[in-house]
Amino acid sequence: MRKNKFLTFYACLVFGFLFLPLAIIAVTAFNTAPTISFPISGFTFKWFANVFATKSFLSGFQLSFMLAIVATLIALLVGVPAAYALSRNSVRGKKLLKSFFLSPTIIPGIVVGYSLYQFIVLKLKLPVMQGLLIGHFLVVLPYVIRVVGSALEQFDFSIEEMAWTLGCGKAQAFFKVVLPNISSGIVAAFMLAFINSFNNIPVSMFLSGPGVRTLPTALMNYIEYFYDPTVSAVSVLLMAATIAIMFVVEKTLGIGALTK
Amino acid sequence: MKKQSTILLIAPITILLVVVLILPLLAVLLPTVFEGGAVTLSRYIAFFQDPYYIKIFVRTLRIALVCTLVCMILGIPTAYFISRVSKKWRGILMSVALFPMLTNSVIRAFAWINILGKNGIVNQILSALHLVDQPLSMLYTEFSVLVGTIYLFLPLMIITLVGVMENIDNDMMEAAESLGASRLLSFVKVILPMSIPGIITGAVLVFTGAMTAYTTPQLLGGPKNMLLSTLIYQRAMTLNDWTGASVVALVMIVTTLIVMKGLNAIAGRLDKRGEN
Amino acid sequence: MSKVTLNDINVSYDGKTQILKGLNLEIGEGELVSLLGPSGCGKTTTLRVIAGFIIPSSGQLFVDTEEMTKVPVHKRNFGLVFQSYALFPHLSVYENVAFGLKLRKMEKAEMDRKIKEILEVCDLTEYALRFPKQLSGGQRQRVALARALVIEPRLLLLDEPLSNLDAKLRLNMRVEIKRLQKKLGITTVFVTHDQEECFSISDKVAVMNGGVIEQFGTPEEIYSRPKTEFVARFIGFENFIQLRKTQENTYRANDGSLFTAKMDCGKSECLGTIRPDDIQIVTNEEAAGNTVTAKIEVRTYLGKSYQYELSTPIGRLVVNDGSGALYKAGDTIKIQLPAAKIVLV
Repeated sequence: MRKNKFLTFYACLVFGFLFLPLAIIAVTAFNTAPTISFPISGFTFKWFANVFATKSFLSGFQLSFMLAIVATLIALLVGVPAAYALSRNSVRGKKLLKSFFLSPTIIPGIVVGYSLYQFIVLKLKLPVMQGLLIGHFLVVLPYVIRVVGSALEQFDFSIEEMAWTLGCGKAQAFFKVVLPNISSGIVAAFMLAFINSFNNIPVSMFLSGPGVRTLPTALMNYIEYFYDPTVSAVSVLLMAATIAIMFVVEKTLGIGALTK
Repeated sequence: MKKQSTILLIAPITILLVVVLILPLLAVLLPTVFEGGAVTLSRYIAFFQDPYYIKIFVRTLRIALVCTLVCMILGIPTAYFISRVSKKWRGILMSVALFPMLTNSVIRAFAWINILGKNGIVNQILSALHLVDQPLSMLYTEFSVLVGTIYLFLPLMIITLVGVMENIDNDMMEAAESLGASRLLSFVKVILPMSIPGIITGAVLVFTGAMTAYTTPQLLGGPKNMLLSTLIYQRAMTLNDWTGASVVALVMIVTTLIVMKGLNAIAGRLDKRGEN
Repeated sequence: MSKVTLNDINVSYDGKTQILKGLNLEIGEGELVSLLGPSGCGKTTTLRVIAGFIIPSSGQLFVDTEEMTKVPVHKRNFGLVFQSYALFPHLSVYENVAFGLKLRKMEKAEMDRKIKEILEVCDLTEYALRFPKQLSGGQRQRVALARALVIEPRLLLLDEPLSNLDAKLRLNMRVEIKRLQKKLGITTVFVTHDQEECFSISDKVAVMNGGVIEQFGTPEEIYSRPKTEFVARFIGFENFIQLRKTQENTYRANDGSLFTAKMDCGKSECLGTIRPDDIQIVTNEEAAGNTVTAKIEVRTYLGKSYQYELSTPIGRLVVNDGSGALYKAGDTIKIQLPAAKIVLV
């Protein structure tokens, strides 16, 4: 490409804006001073030690992790068949159905959390945990429908028909031929769903109770009461995990899989 | 595939969505339009007559709008830049843009607390340069909410736009130049109009996201700069005013939907050109 | 009308791979010159240097006497037609054509007149309000041409403009381009990899390979007297024979047999080459000089003729025979290589 100095400069500024705040956090995580200061006064790991000594972070991480996995698995379980049915044949009202399946995106997360809290926890008197699981299922379902749906759109269904002619039953053909060929879409959907569930706040904010608090809400709580680099240390750990995930995705599916 | 098997495949998701999404929403929202057994909009009328609520409503719209505009101004040239570099660099730059998006919004807001706070980096730099005597109070203002929200949604705008712009052939730009347009003019007259559907898609995502974001206004706005989302939480959890919270929730949903439908209609009309 | 001179142009990619190596080319006023060659030979790069998208690492480009090597693209006023046509999808046919004129701040009525005129010339009047998506390939091609021509460019640059069209349309468009070019008298550079297209349309042809021009001349010259082995192979000479000169016009092949050729190669060793069409199958009685005994390996039906792949003492040869006589694989025949048809490179 023929270079344009001004455009390059402008893009560099924007990338600086995107990148610097997170870089600053990373630096402060290793600072000795208890209040966040810059430039740093000394190098320490004590905030990381503090992270592992803070119970709410550990239990929050555990909960968030489990929640993200279970919610994503449920979403895949009901989402993949639906996406397959929608792309396999011309169901009447296909567009309407698809937008219904994607509808959780239209409803703001804060409203989803709020209505689930009122309905499931207050009215039906079900445990908070179940509300939380349902909420996170709603958060991740659209990613499954969208990403698996687009993988199925790329899929050449004559391959499936070929399998039928070779004596494969419908279900067998789906598991042996269709599924392996959309596996990268499913993995991408899983990754996106997992990350978005893990990071979610608005839904989880309402649905927390004694002993039930996700990591982001625990972090949010912590910030409201304390102002020290422990949060920076948690951030660094989470960012490192994000980088690891991105690296794996880039090596296997290509980073484009996360931009859908 | 037979009809029955189709129904079998889409039944679980449909039932589940009705039970866990539609039902709770109706249970929460329907009571707001009933009073003593009769249908009424009085609660909504009251909402839009209360200056306090109007202020929050307008502030929410204002922040969402300004955020969308700034994201466009920052995002369009950057996305164009990304779409024109070599494949290898595009992957790298996309990763850099994607990274904040995959990072927790608490962390992203926390970064701005560190930057804009009383003892934050900006104030430290300003006082080191003797530009200010007193630290500026930038945190817990509408400005900090705006910056935080822009920071939240700029990656989304960029990634959406790159998706559209990388499909625009380099020949377009070159053709415009060969006809006598400078690069800037070629960009404005050719690339920009061709990207409008993508720009609108990005704008819808950013606007609705900014309208409904909770974490950032909660952490960067403080009680004086409430938005609709923080208002819902406050009404419900602090004041136990469940109907009030539900009214705000519906106002939020409806406003978001109107903006979404409106912008999508414009995008649809612009995209129709040449489709027979 | 403008004359174009490329003077010792060097282009390298990343400062390493040389794409153009000291390229020289002179295009006369009003000429249509084709750059012909396989992909990767540097023909498109040459066009992009002329258009201004590539600034050569060294060398100059002159149009008439004006040096234009570093003039920005938008100030060159050259009309360009891309292989992809690059029509602006958000603008109608009329607006596409108007694009360049608007930038020239032309008066409205004058602009309208010019657009209508060129649309008329390109047979597009009835499509003026359509959008590119609603046009067929041939129509799009004509819009691209009209858009490039309406600015009254000093040069017209065409980058494989016909390669996205089907065979029949291609033929029509070729004639159309030639007609417009002659009518407007505009100096034109035409990039193509299709030799038939190139020969039919060009005043002169530059055959390129590996970043240099192997031969520059009229289509007739190139067709009948290729100067290098590469050019010969590229334009359809399929038979090559190693020859050593023994005396004036007489050459010895590897098996010791002697051939006469009208041409002189000026070296002691050279390569004799002849088109499959020019080799004749002869009977024993007619056989005079330049004959070879050959065994038929493969016979292929080509429609108007048969093609025979032969093994001979001087190597494998290919013959196209349209005489109607039919031979089969395994037959032994006698072929003659007419002295006037042998080209030495």
